[in-house]
Order: sequence, then structure tokens, then C-alpha cells
Amino acid sequence: MKVFSNTETFNYSWEEVSTANWRKYCPWNEKSTHVVAVDTISRSVDPATGILRTERLITCRQAAPEWLKSMMGGGMDESQVFETSYVDPKTKTVTMVSTNITWSNLLNVQETVVYSPLSDHQTKFHQEAKITALAGGWQRIKNSIEDTLVKRFRENAAKGKEGFESVLAMSRRVFAEEREREKMGLIREQAGNIRMAA
Amino acid sequence: MSQSLAKECNEAKERYDTCFLKWYSEKYLRGNGTEQNNECSILFKEYSSCLQVALKERGIDKLLEEAREELKDSDSTYMGKKK
Repeated sequence: MKVFSNTETFNYSWEEVSTANWRKYCPWNEKSTHVVAVDTISRSVDPATGILRTERLITCRQAAPEWLKSMMGGGMDESQVFETSYVDPKTKTVTMVSTNITWSNLLNVQETVVYSPLSDHQTKFHQEAKITALAGGWQRIKNSIEDTLVKRFRENAAKGKEGFESVLAMSRRVFAEEREREKMGLIREQAGNIRMAA
Repeated sequence: MSQSLAKECNEAKERYDTCFLKWYSEKYLRGNGTEQNNECSILFKEYSSCLQVALKERGIDKLLEEAREELKDSDSTYMGKKK
């Protein structure tokens, strides 16, 4: 088993980060082109704790290394990940746990991501992935598979940070515009009321 | 918003995602989102009924079941419940 972990800081409030997190894989994020689809399988709020639990299916397209393809046969370019996430609004924590559902007989990847506030304007992102090659046979091959994935995680983490920054910036702009529109609507409404009263 | 893995579900997904994001930012994060049935429930049902068919067709429903079983422990860890 190999472990990849990574911590980042985003200069946005936890509320902003946790909201933008739902649209992390969208056209605004030009760095996450390997994620082709995100589907929500189920979603519920626990009435006792207020925790929002969500199950999602994430479909990725990213070329596997040639040597791995030749070993496993084709069809390795599309993969799917199942993710369960928990938003606790009381402790202000988002926890996302995910596991691969594709090639699960060959390898097991379990990732945990946590978003938690550092201050009113800063949010910490922590990611940890445990990668275990299951295929029987030579340890050397297992090691290569694990190393390839750790490398892939490292590359995606750098791109992920950059991509999420652009989603956060765009989200802030869109929310500001929306507030502006609401304000204008309110002003127009008030102006209308004044006219009516006159 | 992101796409659905099934093209035919994209429109229903878009409607639901938009509703959810509004609910999340305007109600849930402000402490007004604990009710099970909210304004997005009907939209979710529409999207979900489309998606479930697509998952079954692709044989993903069974894989999901296995993955859910694998992550079962995180429910007790993160939902704040004892086993």
C-alpha cells in the first residue's frame, strides 16, 4: 500500500468553499477535463444531526499508461469512482470518502478529503489517498501500479488546486452579481410602490 | 454544471443541480435546511428515475452496491452515530 497526502489553503470562507465544491467539476474548471460526468445517486439530511449525506458517481476519462494497458487489455481509459460525502454545518466540516468501482479487482484506491475552516476567510483542504494493488503476482508489478497512481494523484492534485481556484473566483463573482440583481429588483419594486402610492 | 454519464438525463440533472445549489447556499448553510422534503425533491425524483435506468443498462448498479458496502464504515464515523 502507498499513501498520498496533500494539504492546501484556500483564501475563501468555508461557506464559499463548501458551496463551490458542488460545482468543482464544471466548465469553469478547465483543469479537470479528466472528469467527464458527476451524478448524484442519493442525498439526505439527518434530522438528528443536520448532516447532509450525498452519494455521487464520478466518471473520469484519463489515459492509463501503455504498459498497464498492455497488461490488462484495452478499455482502461474510462473509470468510475463512488463518493460519499458528509457536510456537518455545526462543526463546519465537509468530508468526502471515495473508492474506485472500476478495476476494483486489480486495485483499491480510497481517498478522504476534508474541508475545514482555518479562519473566517480561509479554508483548509486535506486529501489522503491509500492505494493498494491487489493483482496477484510479482511485488515489482504491484509496486509499479501503486507508484503510477501516486504520481497521477500528485499531478491531479496540482491541477485540482488551480482548477478549484478558478471555480471559487467564478462562484464569488456569480453570487455577487446575483445579490446585485436582487438588490436592483428590490429597488425597482420599491420605486413601483412609491409610484403607486403617489 | 457537470454532465450526467447518461446524455438523456442531462436536462433533468441540470434542473436539479441548480435547485440544489440554491437550497444549499441560501437555506441549508443558514440552518434552514433540515426538512427531508424540500423544493428540490420532485426535481431529484425526475433526475433519479432517469439515472437509475441508465445505471442498470450499464451494469453499474451492482458495482455501486459493492462500493457502498465498502464505504459503510464511514457512515458510522462521519454521521456521528455508534455502530
